[in-house]
Amino acid sequence: MSAPSHTELLKQFTASAVKAVATVEVVTADAEALNAALERATAGDEHVLLSEPDDLDPALLRVFLKNPKVIIRPTREQFSRVPTGITDAFCAIASTGSVCVAMSANYTSPMSMLTRKHIVLVDSAAIVARPSDVFSTEIHSGTGLHRSFTFITGPSATADMGPLVRGVHGPAAVHIIVVEHSHDRI
Amino acid sequence: MTGSDEVHIHPRDVANKSAKENLTKAIAMALAVENEALRLNTQTFNANRYTALSAIPDYEELKSRARAIKEDSIERLPELIATLTKAVEARGGKVFIAATKDDANNYITNVCRMHEAKLVVKAKSITSEEIELNHALEAAGIEVAETDLAEFILQISNEQPSHIVAPAIHRSRQRITALFKEHFDTSLPLDTGEDLTEFARLILRQKFLSADVGISGANLIAADEGCLLLVESEGNIRLTTQLPAVHIAIAGIEKIIPSKKDLGTFIELLAASGTGQPLTSYTNILEPPLLVPVLNLNGRSDTRREFHLVLLDNGRMTMRADTELKEALYCIRCSACMNVCANFQAVGGHAFGGECYTGGIGAAWTIGTSGSLEKGRFAELCTGCSRCVPNCPVRIDIPRLNTAIKQRLITLSGGPSLQKMFFGNFSIVGAVASLAPRVANLIAALPAVRSVMELLIGFDKRRPVPEFGRSTLVRQYREHSKKSRVQADASMSQPRAVLFADAYTNYNNPQVGMAVVRVFEKLGIATTVSATMAEGRDAQSQGLVESAAARAVKTAAYLETFIDEGSDIIVAEPSVLALFRSDYKALLCNDTLFKKLRAHTYDPIEYLNAFLSQHHRDPRTALRGMDRNATRIFYHGHCQMKTVGAGSAAVDLFTQLGFTVIQSKAECCGMAGSFGYKKAYYELSKNVGDDLVRQIRAAEVPGTQLVIVASGTSCREQIGAEYAGRKIFSPVELLDTLIRSGE
Ligand code: SF4
Ligand code: SF4
Repeated sequence: MSAPSHTELLKQFTASAVKAVATVEVVTADAEALNAALERATAGDEHVLLSEPDDLDPALLRVFLKNPKVIIRPTREQFSRVPTGITDAFCAIASTGSVCVAMSANYTSPMSMLTRKHIVLVDSAAIVARPSDVFSTEIHSGTGLHRSFTFITGPSATADMGPLVRGVHGPAAVHIIVVEHSHDRI
Repeated sequence: MTGSDEVHIHPRDVANKSAKENLTKAIAMALAVENEALRLNTQTFNANRYTALSAIPDYEELKSRARAIKEDSIERLPELIATLTKAVEARGGKVFIAATKDDANNYITNVCRMHEAKLVVKAKSITSEEIELNHALEAAGIEVAETDLAEFILQISNEQPSHIVAPAIHRSRQRITALFKEHFDTSLPLDTGEDLTEFARLILRQKFLSADVGISGANLIAADEGCLLLVESEGNIRLTTQLPAVHIAIAGIEKIIPSKKDLGTFIELLAASGTGQPLTSYTNILEPPLLVPVLNLNGRSDTRREFHLVLLDNGRMTMRADTELKEALYCIRCSACMNVCANFQAVGGHAFGGECYTGGIGAAWTIGTSGSLEKGRFAELCTGCSRCVPNCPVRIDIPRLNTAIKQRLITLSGGPSLQKMFFGNFSIVGAVASLAPRVANLIAALPAVRSVMELLIGFDKRRPVPEFGRSTLVRQYREHSKKSRVQADASMSQPRAVLFADAYTNYNNPQVGMAVVRVFEKLGIATTVSATMAEGRDAQSQGLVESAAARAVKTAAYLETFIDEGSDIIVAEPSVLALFRSDYKALLCNDTLFKKLRAHTYDPIEYLNAFLSQHHRDPRTALRGMDRNATRIFYHGHCQMKTVGAGSAAVDLFTQLGFTVIQSKAECCGMAGSFGYKKAYYELSKNVGDDLVRQIRAAEVPGTQLVIVASGTSCREQIGAEYAGRKIFSPVELLDTLIRSGE
């Protein structure tokens, strides 16, 4: 069996993530393009919490960071009140539509679990075929083996109250922005 | 309105099943109050699981890998505990090995006291239910907030979990609304799942923002990196383990696996096998204490994170030394064996479960962790239908485990009951009755006799006693071969089929056996009928293992002589086929002979399909001239037959013959051999059967004929009870009837 191509992985990832009730968009790896996407995704938000990326190229956020609504070091009060959080993910899974968000010093976790809307940025080169790949030593130099993280698959959900309900203790909406480098397309 | 007015039994009062009475009461309560919600929810999980698993290309390999890792882990357990302890301590965490529940409770309470904790947030942990941690904390004056919504419900209703993955699965939305309305002073409508969720979320968010300590369980722990796997959907585990500075995890020692890189295998299996999702919303990989800042949203000024791992023994090392109970230690608590189980779908874990462990695997866990064999009495609800076996991600033979438990219970009670003797020796009852079947049938129908039978052996009066055929299969075949001198095929290349005269076919259903003979002969398959022999099915199903094993050894030796002569064995009764193909492995203790038997035993239709395809014959041509007036078939495959891989043979054949086949979605008909005859389980068995009958009713189209086909004798009885006067066919009988009416 030959390994699936980059394009196939991206296609499969998008389909799986949508099935898991996340929304997905692909933007070119460019600070202006990403800014435009984030502006759209946060339109209507008075403030947004942003975690400085651990894995994604920080230069990509250069433009959006200038937006006055962005909060990087929230106060306790802002943590419990601001409804939107933006983090990066070090990996994404094609078969399940999951993104892997590390528990880092940059508040990735609280920004993706205390908020009602989570916007995730992930590099398209970081998509792997299936969950077990994350733990493989060959993939991303085994980063999955060297940190604490969460596979996030769609919004938080429960069936405990009878019918399926989305948006429980975690976000009710997950929007994934896949950053695509043009040379990846080859 | 079904409801608590009808049956005033609180699930907690009947959680301990050491008294048989509690089991009976719990079944009545569950059928009256919880049945609808249970069936809807478990069947949704069950259907989703089939879909999710079909998307995993290497499911069988994954299961084998998971099984191998778990076997290796339990084997090396002491060494892994040491490795894990070192890994956690190296990062500054603490490990405590708790020999008993008291040890665990004391340790956890002390940690909370040290931090002057007033409020603890807790994520779902069945292990914490096992040690009754909440009681211990509350006794120490510490408030506990269960944050998983199901556990939040149970904390209010004071019920024990009814399912290990979805602990409040027995409550419908309506019954949750009623509970909240009664408990909380609110004028909110709370009439939808959204309302209820939002209501609970706001209460719990306040708890999260003020909690001092977070307590979680763990799905698995990787020893090499001291890494916890925690699977969830609601997000409460993330908040519990990351918001407070102090995190305590409690887990059984069996949760340890050697290496973090193996977590992937289990992650891919767990959610798919449980709720039937590729992954749940959050699959957390945690190496605590975490190197992330403490937010102190609770107003404290904790400066560093603290992590305590409590590893619980509480009987597990004893289970490990027990050749049978050891199997349960491989369980990864996915719940597949509950969702797939027809009895569990009907009564859930309040009846089919103990104080915290539920379902088919629950008896072994209850016994192992409580040290009381009698508390595992609910193993009786395992009919041995075997539907869980191919669905267990770590390949645990759950019915076999329960047979062993039933056997121990028999020994404990000083020997088998009359009931067990009767059903466990049905082959002998049949042999005696066949001496004068008409008399036997008459006597068995007498009301006085039925009352005595009910009293002595618990044979429910409402069930007709299986009728004994007027003449046995062996006798009928003798007559038949005298008359019709089959053109004994000269060509030695012809396959030779030996129809095994099992007790059910020989004494009760000779017409099914004769249908096999006629259909096979029609196709030119030289066929004979074996002598009848007690093969052990009856004994095995009652937990009379020794006598089952003795019968197995005899039968296998007899059948081997046919196989050595180049014949294949045809088995008309699906439960007997399953016995040969699967249970004989353990009963015979002779792998070579078992494999030989497994390779040469066939269901009649399965054999016929193989024969036709081997000779490149199209069934439509081979069975030309067959009556084709009927076009629609409802087919219910026997539970055990599905498990041993012969479940689709009849569907394949009749579809090829041009019929529209509507397949039953019921995992089991509810009779499950002798289970449905027993007075104590009559209502449960009927309830399971009704689920099947509803599907048949839904398949009926006015003005068109629907032929009902079921492969097992007891399945036909269960369905037949609802369709007086309508013939319920076995597949081969239908084929025989269609061929004959076309002639
Ligand atoms: S064998 Fe059947 S009855 Fe027993 S636990 Fe498995 S599915 Fe349930
Ligand atoms: S016994 Fe198997 S199927 Fe049942 S919960 Fe355990 S792992 Fe899952």
